Amino acid sequence: MKHYGIRALLGAAALATMTAGATPALAEYPVETVRLITHSSPGGGMDVFLREIGKHLGPIMGVNFVVENVTGSGGAAAMAEVVNGAKDGSVFYGATPTHIITSLLSAPPVTYEDLDPVVNFFNDPQTVYVLADSPYNTLNDVVDAAKANPGGVVVAVSTPGSLDRQVMEEFQAVTGTSMVVLTHDGGGDAVLSVLNGTAQVGVSEIAELRGQLDAKAVRILATYTENRVPGIGDVPTAREQGIDLVVSKFRGLVGAKDLPPEVIAAWEDGVAKLMEDPEFRKWYEAEGLENAYMTQAEARVARDEFVTSLKAFFEKFDIK
Amino acid sequence: MDGISYALTAVTTPSVLLAAAGGVLWGILGGALPGLSPSIAMALLLPFTFDMTPLAAIVMLTGIYIGAEYGGSIPAILIRTPGTNAAAATVIDGYAMHQQGRGGEALGLSLVAGTIAGLVGLICLVLLTAPLSALALYFTPPAYFALAIMGLSVIAALSEGSLVKGLIMGIIGLMISTIGTDPLSGVTRFTFGGAELLGGIEYIFVMLGVFAVAELMSKMAEGDDEEGITKSVARVKLPGVKKLWALRGALGIGTGVGIIEGPIPGAGGTVAAFLSYNEAKRWSKTPEQFGHGAEEGVVAPEAANNAVTSSALIPTLTFGIPGSNSMAVLLGGLLIHGIQPGPMLLSTRPDLVYGLFGGLFLSNMFMLIFGLLLLGPAVWLVNRPKPYLTASIFMIVLSGVYSINQSLFDFWVVLLSGVLGYGMKLLKFPVLPLILGVVLGYMIEANYRRSLLLTNGEHRVFFENPLSLGLLLCAGLIIGLAVVSEIRRLRHGRRATQE
Repeated sequence: MKHYGIRALLGAAALATMTAGATPALAEYPVETVRLITHSSPGGGMDVFLREIGKHLGPIMGVNFVVENVTGSGGAAAMAEVVNGAKDGSVFYGATPTHIITSLLSAPPVTYEDLDPVVNFFNDPQTVYVLADSPYNTLNDVVDAAKANPGGVVVAVSTPGSLDRQVMEEFQAVTGTSMVVLTHDGGGDAVLSVLNGTAQVGVSEIAELRGQLDAKAVRILATYTENRVPGIGDVPTAREQGIDLVVSKFRGLVGAKDLPPEVIAAWEDGVAKLMEDPEFRKWYEAEGLENAYMTQAEARVARDEFVTSLKAFFEKFDIK
Repeated sequence: MDGISYALTAVTTPSVLLAAAGGVLWGILGGALPGLSPSIAMALLLPFTFDMTPLAAIVMLTGIYIGAEYGGSIPAILIRTPGTNAAAATVIDGYAMHQQGRGGEALGLSLVAGTIAGLVGLICLVLLTAPLSALALYFTPPAYFALAIMGLSVIAALSEGSLVKGLIMGIIGLMISTIGTDPLSGVTRFTFGGAELLGGIEYIFVMLGVFAVAELMSKMAEGDDEEGITKSVARVKLPGVKKLWALRGALGIGTGVGIIEGPIPGAGGTVAAFLSYNEAKRWSKTPEQFGHGAEEGVVAPEAANNAVTSSALIPTLTFGIPGSNSMAVLLGGLLIHGIQPGPMLLSTRPDLVYGLFGGLFLSNMFMLIFGLLLLGPAVWLVNRPKPYLTASIFMIVLSGVYSINQSLFDFWVVLLSGVLGYGMKLLKFPVLPLILGVVLGYMIEANYRRSLLLTNGEHRVFFENPLSLGLLLCAGLIIGLAVVSEIRRLRHGRRATQE
């Protein structure tokens, strides 16, 4: 049970999500059909996300979107598929921090450096949560408890190389506390550890907690975001509580290098419109995703910053 | 009762019937192909469920899971190749029965035991969802550690008469399990700088190597003589009621162990199959037959891995937390249809939950029907001339291996394990301890270290946690009994030689 990821080959599992809409609203996109590649298997977070994009962005850009699942090797196969594809804007990769982590840890033949960000859509907010009947009501209660009893507070995070763990290691440095950061084999295991009391605090994305949140079994204390996240009650950010930590678990689109400028422009305009689409907005707010739209220039800067902080984290904890 | 009417509606809906039938059929075929694990078989069909109704989609996915857990035992019995991880325990006595010409009988036993256990598991799923889901919460790191130690203690009993050889193989298995990424810190170990070993060595490769490849090698070494092996009856023989009654002990043990292990994330069918094999051996009136074609040795693990298919659904449905790869695919299927599993599922979508229960019943019935239809051709196939058979099995095993990760590196792992397994066979080293070490090593290490991290290095925790204490005592008992019987056997042997 080392990996809860699914290693199935789903190369041929492509599905047209939506045929092209009526009249294209923007300048003609150079190709008719665009393949969106994901390393996540059908039903995974990125897969569902790309299918929603296809549904709502198709009419806006006047393009057919097809989602393809190229699973395996933490995104290495999917990255290679994009780099080896045509350079005319017909193939993109739905990117999360995973592809950068894979690039740094496994040194696959094609890495994030061979790809170029196109646009960013969302930030997947990382949250700090506790059991509903926990004595902690704010992030500072956790800090106080950890100060009163160094090593006494246990925080459940997912895998050793994950962003959850990175943020909790930073949390200790920022607050000058010492806690036990308990790593697991996957996100689900970490939630169980909080539910059964092994850990007093957990870190997770909202999607993974949704069932427990709806049942009021857990409470969210804080989010590591710039702004408050809608759809989870009025939860203050960590920064509002005096702990200056923001994690960018981005969801974006990357493509081959040197794509035609009109392709980039079409995406930037199209996605800017998409983010304001009321139906699409309803979907992503229900999913607990935060609008973090970025143009190519902004997304490039954000990626470089992310890579620098991730490298520092891996080096410090000897993860390679 | 609303529940029953939901379930009845479901089983009489044509689309659900079709989904269950199609899922089970594909699952049996997928499970029978080495390398195609239940989770991959499910993932391959997942895109086809997008356009179905949510109920038909999840019935189909669970049908594949049920079919695959059964299908894995067909090659385990007929060609000493476990089609799935959980069928590894069936190989020992199942293949021994086949060599004695009782392959058809073994297949019948496995099918009927699997069906009965699946149905009993389903009843438990319906009646005991709440207490069984609590079970997942009782398992904290010390308890997981103790459970894995108990699994490992089975080595003492499964060493086929040589405890020292068994221990050596168990330790080699544990050593293999340390390859890969450190479970707690993420530091890489013994990967030699390459990316191939980052995820560790997958159990299925070691199993395919030491069972299937080693067997093929020794068959090739035997040469062309047509003696013995393939003279089995080309007919499947279902056990009668009398036989089942005689085997009720093994059947009960397998079903019980499977139902309890299912909801514990990470324990799963493989551990359940091994534990129940061992328990069946201990409670058997004729333990000396185990390893030489004991019917109980087929019934217990087969009942266990099919009982798991029902109870493993519990944490997925009630917490939204998948305990295994297969359940992760099922969760994906639910989410695609906009269904959020979790504590609220039963109150928000009772039609779906009870409909699924109805679908599970259908799937178990279809498993019995398709099992009967498919077993005949399967037995006919393995009765073909040996050279053809050996060559084609080799091809199927290796293409199955390649299909898992599309990596040539995996070939070397399987072939090297095959050489190791062949060597073990020649030197009469038992195989099961090695497998147990590989399967349980990671669970033992990760949870031992997690426990100590939680207590700041105090080993007391393993004795203070009641669940952990109980499991460790059981492990002690298993080892103690095995050592006593080993000593007795040696004394007896000495006396016999003196006389």
